Amino acid sequence: MSDAGPVLVTENLTKKYGEFTALDNLSITVNRGQILGFIGHNGAGKTTAIRILVGLARPTSGRATITGVDCLRDSHKIKKLVGYMPDRFGSYENMRVREYLDFFGAAFGIRRKQRRTRIDEVLELTNAAWMQDRYVEALSHGMQQRIGIARTLLHDPEVLILDEPANGLDPEARLEMRSLLLKLASLGKTLIVTSHILPELSRICDQVAILHRGQLKAFGSLEEITRQFRQNRMIEVQLAGAEKIDETVEVLAASGADRSSIVPSSTEAIVRFRSDRSEDELGPVLAALVTSGIPVTQFREVAGDLEEAFLSVTRSGDAAADAAAEGASPKKLDGELAPAGKSAGKSSGKSGPGEARD
Amino acid sequence: MLSNPIIHKEFIGLMRSVRFHGMLAAVAFVTIVLVMIRWPSDGLIDRSGDRAREVFAIFAFGLAALVTLLSPVTPATSIVVEKRKGTLALLLNSNLSPVSIYLGKLAGSLSAILFLLLVSTPAVTACYAMGGISFTSHVLPFYLVLTAASLQYATLGLLVSTLTASTDSALRVTFGGVLGLSVLVLAPNYFLQGIEGPLSGLAVQLQALSPMPSIIEIVGTGSIGNQGLVTESGVILKFLIAAALTSVVLAAATLRRLNWRLLDQSRSQGVITDDQTLGVRTARRLFFLVDPQRRKAGIGFFLNPVMVKEFRCRQFGRFHWLMRLVAGCAVVSLGLACVTTMGSEEWGVETIGTIIVILQMALILLFTPGISAGLISTERESGGWDLLRTTPLSTGSILRGKLMSVFWTLLLILCATLPGYWVMIWIKPVLEDQIRQVVVCLVLTSVFTILLSATVSSFFTRTAAATVTTYSILLAMYAGTILIWLGRDAPFGYSTVNSALTINTLAAALSIIETPGFSEYGLIPANWWFTGVVSGIFLCILTAQTWRLTRPT
Repeated sequence: MSDAGPVLVTENLTKKYGEFTALDNLSITVNRGQILGFIGHNGAGKTTAIRILVGLARPTSGRATITGVDCLRDSHKIKKLVGYMPDRFGSYENMRVREYLDFFGAAFGIRRKQRRTRIDEVLELTNAAWMQDRYVEALSHGMQQRIGIARTLLHDPEVLILDEPANGLDPEARLEMRSLLLKLASLGKTLIVTSHILPELSRICDQVAILHRGQLKAFGSLEEITRQFRQNRMIEVQLAGAEKIDETVEVLAASGADRSSIVPSSTEAIVRFRSDRSEDELGPVLAALVTSGIPVTQFREVAGDLEEAFLSVTRSGDAAADAAAEGASPKKLDGELAPAGKSAGKSSGKSGPGEARD
Repeated sequence: MLSNPIIHKEFIGLMRSVRFHGMLAAVAFVTIVLVMIRWPSDGLIDRSGDRAREVFAIFAFGLAALVTLLSPVTPATSIVVEKRKGTLALLLNSNLSPVSIYLGKLAGSLSAILFLLLVSTPAVTACYAMGGISFTSHVLPFYLVLTAASLQYATLGLLVSTLTASTDSALRVTFGGVLGLSVLVLAPNYFLQGIEGPLSGLAVQLQALSPMPSIIEIVGTGSIGNQGLVTESGVILKFLIAAALTSVVLAAATLRRLNWRLLDQSRSQGVITDDQTLGVRTARRLFFLVDPQRRKAGIGFFLNPVMVKEFRCRQFGRFHWLMRLVAGCAVVSLGLACVTTMGSEEWGVETIGTIIVILQMALILLFTPGISAGLISTERESGGWDLLRTTPLSTGSILRGKLMSVFWTLLLILCATLPGYWVMIWIKPVLEDQIRQVVVCLVLTSVFTILLSATVSSFFTRTAAATVTTYSILLAMYAGTILIWLGRDAPFGYSTVNSALTINTLAAALSIIETPGFSEYGLIPANWWFTGVVSGIFLCILTAQTWRLTRPT
C-alpha cells in the first residue's frame, strides 16, 4: 500500500435495527493523512457508522476495512489501528489524568517504561502536560476533550476517529482543537471527525461526507461538495447606482429567476438572487441585464460554504422523503441529488421511519 | 403546601414510574404471602389469639424489613440526581425557597413510603380479622412506628443526597446510615447490659433511635434476637420522640446545605506531594505510610490494569484507605472479643462467637454489594465501558480484574476480623474445628455475594438500580429465611425450616457455632454445596453476559 493510498474503505455498509435503517449502503474511501468530516443531523447515522468502524457495532450487511483489516472479523487488530474518542468522555472517579492515561496505556499493552515516555509525549502534543495531576472528573469539558485525544493517541494508532471533538468548546479551545487536529494530520494520521460546527469542519477537512437519515447524500472534497449543490447558490449583481434597481429586478424575473429569491438592496446598489442554473445558463441573464441598459459593474457568485451545501442536501433529502411519502417518484429528486463524490452511495432514496442512534 | 410544584413533579414522576408500580405490587404480594403462610388451615378457632399474633409478627417483621430497605431509595437519590442533571441550579434559581424545595422533596419521598404502607393494609386487615390483635395496641402503633422510621430514613437520605456526588454512593452511604440507626445503635446496650454506670444508661437511651425495640414490643415476640432490646416500658413513645428529633436535626442540616454553595465548589487543583517543598514532603512521609498524594508509578506488567484501575477509582480503594479499614476491623474484632468476655460473666464462648459471626456476616453482606454492584453498571453508566471495549483487553481479563479488586478487599477485611476467633480458640481450644468451618462459611458468603452483585451489575445500566436489586435479593435470602426460622414452632415444621435455612450461610455459621435456636439444624454440608453451586452458576452467567457486552452490538 502506498503512503497516500486508501486507509479506510467502506463498502455498502448497512445497519438496521429491526425495521429501522440507521445506516444505508455507506460506501466511502479515505486516504492516508486526510481528514474526513462526517456531518449530518442528530440521528443521521454518523455515530452508527463510527461504532461499526471501531468494532463496537456489527453491520447488518456490507464491510469496512482499515488498512486492509476487516473491522468486524479482525476486531482485535482494529483496536490497535484505531484511536476512538466517543462523544462522552468516559471518566473515572478519583483518578488523576496521568493515572487515567497510565491505565489505558497498560490496557493497550504498552510496557511501563515506554508508557511513561508515551504519556509525556501525548500530553505534550495535546498541550495538556500541566493538567497531569488533576482529577479527570474535575476537568472542564475542553480539558477533558484534550485528555480524550491524548488517550486516543497513546497506542499511536493509524486512524483517529473523533466524535464531536469540538462540541461544547469555547472559541479559544476550538481554535486549539483545530490546530491540534491539523497537526495530527500532518503527522500522517488519518482522521475522521464528526461535528455540528460546520465552519469549523470546513477549515480542517480534506473530504466531507454528508449523511441524512442514514444515507450518504454527498461525499467528496469540500470544493466538490459546495460546487455540486449549486442549485442554491447566491448570485450578486453590483450596479453603478441604485437608480435602476427596480428595473434590474424586473429583468432578472423576466430572465427566469425566482422572484421570491430576488433581494434588492438600494443602500448597497446590489441585487442578490438564488439560482440553480449552470455558468453557461447564467450568461444570457447577464446579457439581458446589459442589453437593458442596466449599469452592471459586477456579476458574481457569492462563495458557497459547507453550511449552505449541508442545508441544501438535507432539505432536498427531506423533500425527497416527503415526495416519496406522498407517492411521487423519488427518482427525479434522486437525480438532482446525485452524490458528488467518487464513491458515493447508490441508495434509492427511501429513508428510515425514525431517528438513528446518534 | 399542596401548591408546591416540586410535590406535583415528584408525585407525577412517581406515578409514571413502572418500577415504582412494580415495587408496590411486590410489597402487596410479599405481605399477603407472609400472612397466607401463617393463615390457619384447619377449621378450629384459636380463642387465645396466639395464632393471630404469630401471623401479625411475621407480617410486621416482613413489612418493617421492606420499609427499611425501600424507603431510603427515593430520598437518597432525589437531590443528587437533580445536581447531576443540572436541574438543581434551575430550582435554586427559581422563586422557590430552599425550604419549599426541601419540603417538596420530602413530601414526594414520604408519599412513596405512604403508598408502600397503604398496599400492606389488605394483609394487616386479614390479621385483624383473625382476632388476637387490637387496632389501638397493635395496628396503630405499628404503623406510627413505621411512619416515624420512614421519616427518619427519608430525612437522612435527603441529607446524604446533598453530600454525595453520585447516586450509587448516595445509596451506599444512606443504607449505611439506616443500618446505623436501626441496628448499630442497639449494639452498645447489647454488650453493656448488666453493667452499672453512665455508659450503660447512655446505651439504653441510644437504642431509642432504632424502631426495632418498638416493633418487638408491639408484636411481643420473644427470641434470641430481642435479647436486651426491650428493657423498659414506653419504648414506642421514646422512639417516636427520638425519630421526630433526629428528623428535625437531619432536616435542619440538609436545609443548611441546600443553597448555591452546593453548586459552587472549586475543582481540585491536583496538589501532589512530589511538587511540594522538602519540608512538606518530609512531614507527609512521617504521617503517611502510603501517601495518597504521591505521583504513582505506572501499572506493573504483572498486574491486571483493570484491577488497579478499580482500586484507584474507588473512593476508599486506595492503599492507605485499605490499610485504615483493615486496622479498624482488627481493632473492632479484638475489642469485641475483649468487651464481650469481660462484660458479662454468664456469656459463654458461643455467645461471643455468635456476635462475631453476626457482625462479620453483616459486614460482608452490607459492604460487598456497595463495592461490587457497580462493577459493570458504573462503567456502562459513565461511558467507560465503550472505551474498555475499544482496548485489546479480553473479556476474561476485564472480568478477572474487576472481580479480583473486590476479592482482595474482602479477603483483607476478613483476615482483619479473625483475631476475635483467636481469642475464642485461646479460651476454648476445642472450638478450633468449628471456627474453621465458620471461616469456610464466611469465605463462601463473600464469594457468593461478590458473584451475585457482579452478575446483577452486568444486567443494569444504572448502579443505583443494581445496588438496590442486589440488596433486595440478599434481604430476601437472609432476612426472609430468618423470618421462616422465627416461625419454627408453628406453622413451619423442622424440615421446612431446615430446608429454608440451607440457603442461608449466616444460619449455617450460627448452627456450627451452636447458637441457641440454630444448633439443632444440620445445615452443613448442604449449605456449602448450595452456595458453591449457585456461585458457580452466577459466575457462568456473569461471564456469558460480560462476553455479550464486549461483543459488537
